[in-house]
Amino acid sequence: MKSIKNRSASKSTAWQGELALEYASEQLAAQSGDRIQPGQSNKTSLVYRYAKAPLKVQRPFYPEGPSVCHSVIVHTAGGMVGGDRLHLSLTAQPHARALVTTTAASKAYGKTNAVAEQAVVIKVGQGACLEWLPQELILFDGARYRQHLRVDLDPDAVWLGWEITRLGRTLRGERFTQGEWRSHLEVWQQGRPLWIDPQGIGGGGAMMTSGHGLNSCPVIATLALVGRDVPPAVMAQVRACWDQCNLPRESKVDSYGRMVSQCIHPVASQAGVSRLQSGIVCRYRGNSTLQARRWFVAVWHLLRPIYLCRPVCLPRVWPDLHRPAAS
Amino acid sequence: MISPDALLHLLQLASSSLPVGAYSYSEGLETLVHEGRISTLTELADWLQQELRYGPIGVELTIMVRVHAAMETGDIEAIAHHNHWLSALRDTEEIREQNWQMGQTLSRLLQKLEPDLTQTLENVGLPCNFAIAFSIAAAQWQISPEAMALGYLQSWLTNLINAGIKLIPLGQTAGQTLLLQLYPDLKNTAAKAIGAAMATADQDSLFICNWGMALASMNHETLYSRLFRS
Repeated sequence: MKSIKNRSASKSTAWQGELALEYASEQLAAQSGDRIQPGQSNKTSLVYRYAKAPLKVQRPFYPEGPSVCHSVIVHTAGGMVGGDRLHLSLTAQPHARALVTTTAASKAYGKTNAVAEQAVVIKVGQGACLEWLPQELILFDGARYRQHLRVDLDPDAVWLGWEITRLGRTLRGERFTQGEWRSHLEVWQQGRPLWIDPQGIGGGGAMMTSGHGLNSCPVIATLALVGRDVPPAVMAQVRACWDQCNLPRESKVDSYGRMVSQCIHPVASQAGVSRLQSGIVCRYRGNSTLQARRWFVAVWHLLRPIYLCRPVCLPRVWPDLHRPAAS
Repeated sequence: MISPDALLHLLQLASSSLPVGAYSYSEGLETLVHEGRISTLTELADWLQQELRYGPIGVELTIMVRVHAAMETGDIEAIAHHNHWLSALRDTEEIREQNWQMGQTLSRLLQKLEPDLTQTLENVGLPCNFAIAFSIAAAQWQISPEAMALGYLQSWLTNLINAGIKLIPLGQTAGQTLLLQLYPDLKNTAAKAIGAAMATADQDSLFICNWGMALASMNHETLYSRLFRS
């Protein structure tokens, strides 16, 4: 493995990592055209796998039975530097169901003029479902990172994904004073764009501090479900569960028994929920990646029964989310 | 120099008396005033300045310039694509509905004013975004892309300032002063959008930063008592 120190010294050692995963469901013919129904349990198999360093994938995992295949992607170099290019291709054939996550937070290191890029191409076949649930991305001060994520849905296909980004290692007081973050996300169905989300932030600029932009919050996150309409009652539950997630956890009690949330974070975390043309989007702008993930998991609990007729099954590589929330 | 005909048509299109209901939308300002995030003229000015610099309005304007060019070449398929793309750009239901409602209303009006446009407007498909209908009208009336961009932005900004001074509340003179004060930013946004539209056909190079606006618009949906529809 190349060490990070050596790599940042020389451009020629940039990684060009690749990963391609393809999932297929058995008994395709019997159910073509149907949406996922309760009780269906066809096995989803990983039928194609290609990985080029520094990307690897752990063996397929079935913690909730054979119908949903879990895959965990590993970045063996620990993080990205300028010049690195990663290309991920995830395909779910008709009626396959796959959950893809990462083994740890991603990191993009700073102090470089070159851009680190990640492209993710997701294809979801008819009646299939792909969940893209990477752990958070941490941008070191000065990092230049661009992601391009494109999802193509066939009829009745579903994609649920989230992106959680921390700008600067703020836990050690670092701010994102230079560098850039770009995230271009688009979801298409049968040649029509359903959602285009071209976001960008320049380090140290007004976008970081203004109320219109980040309002001095270091963490931004987006969750989206595309391909299923969400009933009004569930929309209301999704909105309500932010208040349940938010209130106890942002506050801490000092040695005199006083609530000191305002001292820890000068700006309160905020969340919002709305409908997409087919689906739902949740936005978070706040102080804590863990808070964002806890809210997203709570939302996922509400949404998964709608699009997959199953309860949530937390991947074992998210140890912090298995612990009960401290209040 | 804009021709007298183009100027008159632009004034009509950009006028607040164009019957599309623009006055009923605040694009999140109502939430921000309600939450106390905007309570002064300076805070309103800062918000609108950020909106002009990094908000979706710049990307919208770039698409409008492309639609204007597609009208010149009669490329209706491209216009229909831009319309779908703009619908997909909206990350909140209220903003999407606002643009569709105003767009449909303008589209119906244009079919009465300019029957020649009927086929084009029908081929663009439903629902038609306001920015798309506006640029179709601008191209039809020989308004240049530059003049169209300035007129569209001025009309949009006037509407948001009116919403802001009503909500905070502030006086009419303060609103007019603010409008004048924001003209340099408005001109920059127009020039940037035209540059972006001419530079590349690649829509992937456009980006926005609208976290605060998205949150304000999302939370407007559940605001207890509302004067505005967005």
